[in-house]
Amino acid sequence: MSECVLFVQAQGDSRVVEVVVPENVSESALLARLKELGMLGAPNLLVFVDEAEDQVGGETDRPVAGVRHGARVHITACRKIRVTVHYLEKTVERDFAPGARVRNVKAWAVREFHLDHKDAAEHVLQLCESAERPSGDTPLHTLLQGGCALCFNLVPEKRVEGAF
Amino acid sequence: MSVVAAPDLLLLERHLASPEFRLGQVEGRWRHVATNWPYVTIAVSAAMRPNAPAEYGFRFLCSGYPQLAATCQPWDLETNCALAFGRWPTGRAIVPSVFRIEWKGGVCLYIPCDRLSIEGHVNWSQEHRSRLWDPTRGIVCYLEQLYELLNQSDYTGVRCS
Repeated sequence: MSECVLFVQAQGDSRVVEVVVPENVSESALLARLKELGMLGAPNLLVFVDEAEDQVGGETDRPVAGVRHGARVHITACRKIRVTVHYLEKTVERDFAPGARVRNVKAWAVREFHLDHKDAAEHVLQLCESAERPSGDTPLHTLLQGGCALCFNLVPEKRVEGAF
Repeated sequence: MSVVAAPDLLLLERHLASPEFRLGQVEGRWRHVATNWPYVTIAVSAAMRPNAPAEYGFRFLCSGYPQLAATCQPWDLETNCALAFGRWPTGRAIVPSVFRIEWKGGVCLYIPCDRLSIEGHVNWSQEHRSRLWDPTRGIVCYLEQLYELLNQSDYTGVRCS
């Protein structure tokens, strides 16, 4: 039987773990494999594939939707993540799937704040009360530090400058 | 007689085999081209732009890895030599601030995670904390920044298209 490699990330942790599963792995088999690896220790943890809105259910032998070689699997206690973005005096808010990427949040915020192409290119998302500017590929749940909410400021990208 | 591999090479190879690096490869963000110690050559994918390549090669000097930051220059994968300045990536504001052909003769990028460029820029440690070299993540933290630069709307293609 052919196999595929999944890249698993846990809430609040930027590290990645590779897990090999059979192609067309069922939902129950995937959860069993994650439990076997000690990655589903707490009963409240949920599993999502890539940027899916729906969690992987544990009761069925149905193949997991979206699983393919290289897919990301997210383990989180949050069904949704409430995201708030501040820009100048404005604020927008909405829910995202736990595996949604920072890039998608920026694209949404740019639309909401009506930034033009040039301004959009020169702004980045920075975590509130932090200097951290996560890369666009970062899944949201890996940034959580307790709770199911994230706050960003949309700030000007600093050009790297200094004495030549 | 057995030859013992250099510790910095072994640590680089460990990072090249890490899930974080492999994830980037599987997702098509970058690919390992060759290791010719103390150099490693890696191609980074770029957003589609008219008359521009789908990826750029970069050659990283990795001696002292990972405690010493890597330094890298754009690399021509076909001829295995430094990329001609006319074929360097550019953009409107952010990308050209990093890909500066006049900086140190084009042997490195003007970015805080670069070993040569951080020298003498004490202000960068405070002003660009999220762009500094992180020995625990190594080459991946440099690659993530290159990928971001080459896949943002500021990137317009090559200098002379």
